[in-house]
Amino acid sequence: MQSNISIFLNRTRQKKLLIQYCKKTGKYQHFPRPVSIFTGRRRDIEWREVSGKGVVFSYTIAQRGTPAFRGIEPYAVVSVTLDVGVNFIANIVHCTGAELKVGMKVKPYWHPLDDGTHLLMFQPDRDGA
Amino acid sequence: MSLRDNAIVAYAETKVMEKSDRDVFVLGGEILEELLDKTGIEKSEIDGLVLAGLTGTGAGNPFWAQTTADVLGLDVGFCEQVHTGGCSAAGCVVRAAAAIDYGLCDVALLLFADTHVLEDKSDHSHTYRREWTDPYGLMGPPGAFGLLSRAYEAKYGLDYRMLGKIAVTQRNHALLNENACEKLRVPITVDDYLNSRVIADPIRLLDCVMRADGAAGLIMMSRQRAKQKGLSKCIIPIGYAERTNFKGGENLVDVTKSGHEVCGRKALGEAGLGIKDIASFHPYDDFIIAIMLQFEAFGFCKAGEGVQFIRDHDFSFNGDLPLNTGGGQISAGQAACSSHNLIEAVRQLRGEAGKRQVKNTKNALVTGIGWINYGRNWGSSAALVLIPE
Repeated sequence: MQSNISIFLNRTRQKKLLIQYCKKTGKYQHFPRPVSIFTGRRRDIEWREVSGKGVVFSYTIAQRGTPAFRGIEPYAVVSVTLDVGVNFIANIVHCTGAELKVGMKVKPYWHPLDDGTHLLMFQPDRDGA
Repeated sequence: MSLRDNAIVAYAETKVMEKSDRDVFVLGGEILEELLDKTGIEKSEIDGLVLAGLTGTGAGNPFWAQTTADVLGLDVGFCEQVHTGGCSAAGCVVRAAAAIDYGLCDVALLLFADTHVLEDKSDHSHTYRREWTDPYGLMGPPGAFGLLSRAYEAKYGLDYRMLGKIAVTQRNHALLNENACEKLRVPITVDDYLNSRVIADPIRLLDCVMRADGAAGLIMMSRQRAKQKGLSKCIIPIGYAERTNFKGGENLVDVTKSGHEVCGRKALGEAGLGIKDIASFHPYDDFIIAIMLQFEAFGFCKAGEGVQFIRDHDFSFNGDLPLNTGGGQISAGQAACSSHNLIEAVRQLRGEAGKRQVKNTKNALVTGIGWINYGRNWGSSAALVLIPE
């Protein structure tokens, strides 16, 4: 069964980020949906490869992890506004707690998983203009 | 017929327990018995059953409302479960009124019984969580409110001592509420709030609601019927609105705004009241900051001025804007399908709140907050205005 998540994950094998785009309205949406959230139609949706660059919209430091993350606290969860105008929730790495700020520029960090796919995370974009 | 032609004629409530020592249906039975005793009506007169969908114990049973009717021996013309999360309790009131207006039932039992600590069958796996936030260890509501709080702080600044003031006020109210969960009936200070364990920075332990077990209920009927039966001290719903998936057709939204903005305008408009007329405020409280955001959304103050509003007002039961006078869910425990604040408002308007009775019982504003959506604020918002007969 081909699902949105499988399309998305397959492309992460090449460290590529796909975000849904509505052809009718010219706007992006995330998380992936069965229809355009702007028009309600399946046929208006296509996947587009995007850079994954953006700025930190918000963040929280988990001092108490979810069961799968217990023992590795503290860790940061960020909501990043990608340059195509969607917020993407993920972890951030290569970044100290003191450095982490709302508005800081970030770029993708692709965390490798055993099945060959990658989990999108973010890292500071220190060269970002 | 309209909303205000209907009446809440009685309420009942168990003590909130850290974990129930009775089955959920035993709790439901206790509520039914108390409501029948209080009103003098016969069980056979109840022909409507309205349950809150926010139940951990009933979550796995697609026939929960019918099962409840069966267990309690109720023969009804309207059997309904309301699925707007933490808005369900207020949502039950308006749906019962609509059913009575439409002639589907004459006497409705609104039942809020849940034992989600003892027995939780809820399953959130078929949502965005499994694919889009679980892989990053974002912890459900505390994580989402951590992101929301930080976004608010970045936009407006945030004095956490003022959130602490709200926490202390609600805790003081729980100390006066014998039905509040005993574990929470311990005094706290603003420093206790600030120094409480960080869960999802900046969300602290004392920001968070604690799940608990318990039950509550209401009986509703038309005002005319209540009058014929000689039932006194009726509470009348005079304004209601709800909003689910506010701005759901937009992608990038201001997370400091919620559906309460539109609900507030609509419910207060129906009630013919301005926000400054509100005599006591019973906002849904899953996290302390949600209360501050509601001050802004309902227009008690402007956006970004919540902290100053908290600084300027006394939210004690005897203050200038009594707030969650039973302790709120955060200090009474998140039990009984999150109906606590609604039941407390009804109790206050009937003048039965004892040591914590508010002076001004002209009206009360009760609100709801439903689930948590991806990267926004919350999924459902509700507002209900009540007045005494």
